[in-house]
Amino acid sequence: MSGQRHARPDTCAKTSQVSRSSVLSQQGHWDPATRQLVLDRVYHVPPIRFFSPQEAETLQAVVDILMPQDDRPPDERVPIVNYVDEEQYKGETPGYRYEDMPDERTGWRWGLEGIDQTSQALFGRRFVALAPAERRQALERLRQGDAPGEVWQRMPASRFFSGTLVGAVISSYYSHPYAWDEIGYGGPAYPRGYYALNHGAREHWEVEERR
Amino acid sequence: MKLHVNLSPDWVLDAEMREYPPSQEVDVCVVGTGAAGGVIAQRLARYGFSVVALEAGDWADSEDDMVSDERGARRLYWMDLRVIGGSWPLELGENNSGQTVGGTTATYSAFCPRFHPSDFQVRTLDGVAADWPIRYEDLEPYYEQMEREYPVAGPAHFPWGKPHGYPYGPLEVSTHGHKLVEACLKLGIPVVVGGPVGINAGAFGKRPHCIFRGQCHLGCKVGAKHSTLVSHIPNAITHGAEVRTRCMAFEVPVNEGSLATGVRYYRSDHDGAYREEFQRARLVIVAGYAVETPRLLLNSTSSRFPQGLANSSGLVGKFLMTQASHIAIGRYSEMIRQYKGPPAQVDSEEFYETDPSRGFARGFCIQTVAPLPISMAKMLAEARGLYGMELRRAMADYNHYACFGILGELLPDERNYVALAQEKDRFGIPVAYVHYNLFENDKRLIEYALGKVIELHHAVGAEDIIVIDDSAHLIGTCRMGFTPQDSVVDQWCRSWDVPNLFIPDGSCLPTQGAANPALTISAIAARTADYIRKAANGREL
Repeated sequence: MSGQRHARPDTCAKTSQVSRSSVLSQQGHWDPATRQLVLDRVYHVPPIRFFSPQEAETLQAVVDILMPQDDRPPDERVPIVNYVDEEQYKGETPGYRYEDMPDERTGWRWGLEGIDQTSQALFGRRFVALAPAERRQALERLRQGDAPGEVWQRMPASRFFSGTLVGAVISSYYSHPYAWDEIGYGGPAYPRGYYALNHGAREHWEVEERR
Repeated sequence: MKLHVNLSPDWVLDAEMREYPPSQEVDVCVVGTGAAGGVIAQRLARYGFSVVALEAGDWADSEDDMVSDERGARRLYWMDLRVIGGSWPLELGENNSGQTVGGTTATYSAFCPRFHPSDFQVRTLDGVAADWPIRYEDLEPYYEQMEREYPVAGPAHFPWGKPHGYPYGPLEVSTHGHKLVEACLKLGIPVVVGGPVGINAGAFGKRPHCIFRGQCHLGCKVGAKHSTLVSHIPNAITHGAEVRTRCMAFEVPVNEGSLATGVRYYRSDHDGAYREEFQRARLVIVAGYAVETPRLLLNSTSSRFPQGLANSSGLVGKFLMTQASHIAIGRYSEMIRQYKGPPAQVDSEEFYETDPSRGFARGFCIQTVAPLPISMAKMLAEARGLYGMELRRAMADYNHYACFGILGELLPDERNYVALAQEKDRFGIPVAYVHYNLFENDKRLIEYALGKVIELHHAVGAEDIIVIDDSAHLIGTCRMGFTPQDSVVDQWCRSWDVPNLFIPDGSCLPTQGAANPALTISAIAARTADYIRKAANGREL
């Protein structure tokens, strides 16, 4: 192992502000490429560039149901909408498209429009204007594939819900160190690796699970 | 060309790579650098052939380009568009497709069992699927070579198929592996521990041993896990092969004598600008795996081959296969921490062979699998329709899940196929349409196999069991066979139609067994290399 390459940096960004119960406190042990990637994610939140303000507002309301974070202080919430936006802004795709779905970007535009159509049909208001229970009800109709709305004649609602929407929310949330802390996942483990392989043991540096 | 690529913390591929001008006719042009392409390029370069290997992806430096981050590994996968359909559409991308030097081996879990002798005679023994034109014994010496060259760690005695032992000792297993061992012992199911897996338990050459990082699917930063990037490609370069990266092949042209003349491709620079080039070659080897190989052939139309190259049988793209890799996730009161160590640690092939009393042909393996957090959350969401706080609560149990996976043989069927879609990629090349369905034998096999892994979880006290529908590996689409009518290539992976075209990758397998296919693919490629050497000496090529 070349010493310089993995030298523990004296001043990692914001280390002093990070609680020792967070995976982030271990960043000095990560390899440089991983450290840069994860810290960028945490500290350089991308601006909204793909979604229109109205689309972003609808998506935020959807995310509040799919991955609620009101149990956390506002500055410890994972900015899911921004991460989803960045992926679409960069034109990232999963490497395949279902034949009954439009391309990824069109799917998002249609889907967010469709969610408003569904909520208009069910409650006569835009999705953002719905109460939490109504929002759940509207999204549940998408999940079950029987949502009202013209968009869903062109694109299967359940595929948009389970594949596109929930998939993007999950990969945004569970790629964040705050989520790793929550589930007791230690995060990056190169170059030091794991030594505690038996009896479900915790490495001395791994966070305690919070369940 | 000077190469400087980290392959492990202590090993830089610091080499002067030979470069051929495309206008110069080389002996061999290989498309793809994965389990097949990486091995055959290395073999033929050692045998003295001039070799150019085209790779659509780029070099992946283990320090700079590979990361310990589930969401950050996408540059190693094949993320270009493919369209999927059928009653059981196959999700591609990170699930089964690599686009980097080393191909899909860069991000596979490196579980490396051999096929069983019965796999080569499924039609004769079970009356379904197809026989291979070769037998287990034809591949056996090449299995032995690959197990030393990957290399493969595993038990001293492996009891299934043709019993054999592994040259390198088994890898240490974590709590997760022990859980499956304990479950198998309770039910009296024989099981092997710590392999066969292409991961070093001790240092191998300049490759260190495994550090149990558990992120094999993200590319191994340690270099302990096998990929052809670390096992064969450095040696290919030492022997004068050129690995030409960011080259997307789009046509294999033929001359009036029905011989391939080389490969046409688009070569991109780092900014995405690209130009068309044509590498002339006396022999063309297509090793792009079971989706891109048929796509390239179907896109290579000419007056001689209006249905696509090497496709007089009409079978290019047909008989696509994948293995059922359904998972039973068990939740336990105690900590499992299944993310530690390689995903696949423990294996039982007790149910691999046909048992008429089960009501279906062929069988399955049982192995551990270990989804990282994003994959795990997606699985829980899909299986249980979870979202919101319910999903967060289910994920709070992340350290308490153990995942017992099946690897089930699904039978080849002409109704499962790769064809060309209407859409084109950024180069204007029509993309692949990948169509898959499950049929009756497949469904029965999956149901039975899932019953078995659920039983295993019950035997060791799972509090809850969640069943996941999944697939792994891609096989078929250019099957080898006995005649030009029943297959695309002969037993040497040589095209029946185009005598200087070889297809020694996962496409050529007539059946897929219930074993992870990489080792078999590499063994076939090594065997084809020996045939080419002999045929060239005898002036048959």
